[in-house]
Amino acid sequence: MRITKSHKIIVYSILVILSLYFLFPFAWALITALKTEGEAFSFPPTFLPDVPQFGNFIEAWKSQPFGTYFMNSVIVTVMTTIGQIISCSLVAYGFARYDFKYKNILFILLLSTMMIPWDVTMIPLYMEFNLFGWINTLKPLIVPAFFGSAYNIFLLRQFLMNIPKDLESAARIDGANEFQIFYKIFLPIMKGPLTLIAVLNILLVWNDYLGPLIYLNDQSKYTMALGLASFKGVHELQIIPIMAMTLVMIIPPVIVFAFAQKYIVEGVSGSIK
Amino acid sequence: MKLSKMKLILLFTIALALLLSACNSTKSNSDEATEDGKVKIRFATWDVGNDVQLQQNLIDEFNAKNEKIKVVLEAYGGEYDTKITAGIGAKDAPDVMYMWNYPQYKDALEPLDSYIDKNGEEYKSDFYESLWNYNSVGGETLGLPVGYTTHVVYYNKDLFDEKGLEYPQAGWTWADLQETAKKLTNKDKKITGFAFPGKPDPYDFEMYLWGNGASYVDSDGKLKGNLNSTKSIETFSLFQDMLKDGYAITTEGSGDTEMKSGKVGMFINGAWYLSPLKEAGINYGVVEVPTFENGKSVSIVSSSGIAMSKDSKHKEAAFEFMKFWTGKEANKERIAFELPVLKSVVEEEKLQEDPVKGVFYSMLEQSEGYTPASFITENWSQVSENLGFVFEQIFNPSTRVDPKKALNEAVK
Amino acid sequence: MLKKKEKQPSFTLVRKRVPYLFILPWIIGFLVFTLGPLGSSLIMSLFDWPITGEAKFIGLNNFTKMFTADPQFYDSLVITFKFAAIFVPLNLISALVLALLITQPVKGVKIFRTIFYLPAVVSGVAVSIIWGWIFNSEFGVLNYLLSLIGIEGPSWLIDPKWAIVTIVIASAWGVGTMMLIFYTDIKGIPPELYEAASIDGAGPLRQFFNITIPTITPTILFNVITSVIAALQQLTLVLLLTGGGPLKSTYFYGLFVYNNAFKHHQLGYASANAWFMFIIILILTMLIFKSSSTWVFYEAEMKKGGKK
Repeated sequence: MRITKSHKIIVYSILVILSLYFLFPFAWALITALKTEGEAFSFPPTFLPDVPQFGNFIEAWKSQPFGTYFMNSVIVTVMTTIGQIISCSLVAYGFARYDFKYKNILFILLLSTMMIPWDVTMIPLYMEFNLFGWINTLKPLIVPAFFGSAYNIFLLRQFLMNIPKDLESAARIDGANEFQIFYKIFLPIMKGPLTLIAVLNILLVWNDYLGPLIYLNDQSKYTMALGLASFKGVHELQIIPIMAMTLVMIIPPVIVFAFAQKYIVEGVSGSIK
Repeated sequence: MKLSKMKLILLFTIALALLLSACNSTKSNSDEATEDGKVKIRFATWDVGNDVQLQQNLIDEFNAKNEKIKVVLEAYGGEYDTKITAGIGAKDAPDVMYMWNYPQYKDALEPLDSYIDKNGEEYKSDFYESLWNYNSVGGETLGLPVGYTTHVVYYNKDLFDEKGLEYPQAGWTWADLQETAKKLTNKDKKITGFAFPGKPDPYDFEMYLWGNGASYVDSDGKLKGNLNSTKSIETFSLFQDMLKDGYAITTEGSGDTEMKSGKVGMFINGAWYLSPLKEAGINYGVVEVPTFENGKSVSIVSSSGIAMSKDSKHKEAAFEFMKFWTGKEANKERIAFELPVLKSVVEEEKLQEDPVKGVFYSMLEQSEGYTPASFITENWSQVSENLGFVFEQIFNPSTRVDPKKALNEAVK
Repeated sequence: MLKKKEKQPSFTLVRKRVPYLFILPWIIGFLVFTLGPLGSSLIMSLFDWPITGEAKFIGLNNFTKMFTADPQFYDSLVITFKFAAIFVPLNLISALVLALLITQPVKGVKIFRTIFYLPAVVSGVAVSIIWGWIFNSEFGVLNYLLSLIGIEGPSWLIDPKWAIVTIVIASAWGVGTMMLIFYTDIKGIPPELYEAASIDGAGPLRQFFNITIPTITPTILFNVITSVIAALQQLTLVLLLTGGGPLKSTYFYGLFVYNNAFKHHQLGYASANAWFMFIIILILTMLIFKSSSTWVFYEAEMKKGGKK
């Protein structure tokens, strides 16, 4: 595409204006995190803290066993991501590239699992996990990921549906078995979308609050998101530690995203050729 | 391709290692009895931040002394109710849990009267009597008092000094408060004299009706003729008028954010904000809630207690711990963040003479003999939601419904 | 070669089973983790279950109550659909526009890509706290900034007219996920397609409507369905930011169900509410899916038509 100068200026100004909307809350969180308690609440608000209180970050980190939380979050995030990638690639491939009996009904059933309101299945699910002896362990958060999630399967299926059919026909003629076709041909093609799913899953799990809240009991099992929420009490909101830990918590996913960008961009097209 | 295979193997190794470590680390805690043969008691608290650390220290003390019981603290934070509801629903509730809303959870809690009786009259009478009422439902004691707070007026001393106003004294009236608020208000500097929640919790708001000789319901739980009585309407009008006249604002939460800005002269709330306001650098004082003409200074009591789950498998051990948690020592150790509920401790620590904490105790004594509607009305949570909506209609600037009309509508 | 021939008959049998083998993980997961709880919630909807006490069988009473005796049910339903009607198109269009912007071949676009995506990285709890902090009408920074340029900001979280706008602004902030999905797909369009169109003299707008949009229809379908579901189930923000207020103007259906379950401890009634919404969403999804055969084009299916 050719780019004219005026086109460039328009694009940049739109990008910058939008960035303000997306960045302002972060900026405000950062400013607040660096203030003293008195400054944070004073009105009119100040835009630069008198003396930046970098100690706020350390204090917030030390106020709870965040080291343990971090490890737990990493375990859950890594495990679920591996689980999702394995299970979702298989299931989505099955739905996208084959015709079989009851396919549509099963697929609607799959989609419907996205619509189940969490409130009412939570207690029966709790009972089930309790039966397994999984309460206050990380298993309720990890194991289900190895059986796929409707959101990821659906997303992946949409990508796979968009790949021409002749690919596997050619491979079949060459004598490859079904699993080889999946493993040797489609898996490499799916690199982009799978990275996307990994990124989305990492975010979802990293920030998941209600799951850990319900299934974990004591602090030795808590995750980062639960620790962050613990600054919010029944009566009081500890705004400075919340802002500080919110900023700390986004660092790992941002790093992941920075690395993953490249693979996502390569996308489907890059690998087909 | 080879390289990516290597990566794949590496990834799986890491995954396996993590899975194993996850399993290992989880094993020890999920068992009913702990490794050293002690009975495990799960104890749920709603406190957050440093208070949790203080509680943990106290529990460590108990665990060190006790040969047969090991208490594990579980801190659920802001979504406390969701978490214990899930636990109770799945028959996996903590053995001991913090509790204030007894009517709602009564069916899941173990009545404690027989346990308390075993410890003699002296044990029971050291607690403030009125707190027992707040920890029981239908004549059955369901919890032991741990802490409480009454509501008081917080006032910003700096703003008073600026205007050269005298600090309010106990025994002042609502007319005094209004007068003061008017003098404090300065629109140009964005200073308002008084602030109260735009969507008050009906549980808290009833104290103003009590102060004016009214209440939401009679002893049968009937709203009609009570909520819309003349005295009650008068109370709501008093608050609405302050908004209309411009020397009060409504707050979005309970009002602490607004108070912390240093731009609000007075607000009414519990002991929860004693240290947060101090940390925010507000130079405040506290004073009793003002009185109505011929009325009394009365406050709602927000009590916190600890209750035992009906499904607990170790009730004796649980009560053993509860006794420790409500004992003299524990009351003293919690003094930094909880008002003691034992008369002996209050006396020893001379809390009644404390210029700040003393106010909470005198409010407690004056507020004896009132029963909140939540303990009378069946299905309070639904009633409370409806009432909250009506109150909001009265105070929200975009509706400001006439109290008489709103309350008459509400009792239908 | 010989060996293979021998296997031929069983091979077709295996092939028939192959698709099921691929989807087996999900089927197991569905049976173990979903079917049971889902079934229990349906059974629960026939009970008066106060969570803390004993459950009583009451037949269809929960449903009768919902349809005939609970005005809040209808109010919440209307508010929720209103929100979805604003949120879904807005979110889709802005996600698509953002995705197009970050595919522009200009310098530094990588940074903008990260910036736009950044909010999606923040946990829902923190999102609601940060926005609540910014939107406070008396002492919030937003109205302060507006006052500096002479505008008296609205009472965001107090005025019912503005509260829903607040929710939309705060939820649109996390558009990054959808943007990223669009982006991945747009990036996957072979550049030759555009080059060919360019040679034919098609301008950027025509290229967009003739190439980009048709190619990404599967992703559009995905985003439509998932955002309809998300909008109709929105809970975190209203629970933590507005609590359903002011004046119940943001008392979404998700909050209605949540409060019935956890505030009022009517788990049976909440299950009935939830099942009703479940069926509504299911019907909606099926309708969208049915319609999709007319506007979604899958490469794998288009082969025979030879379109390209």
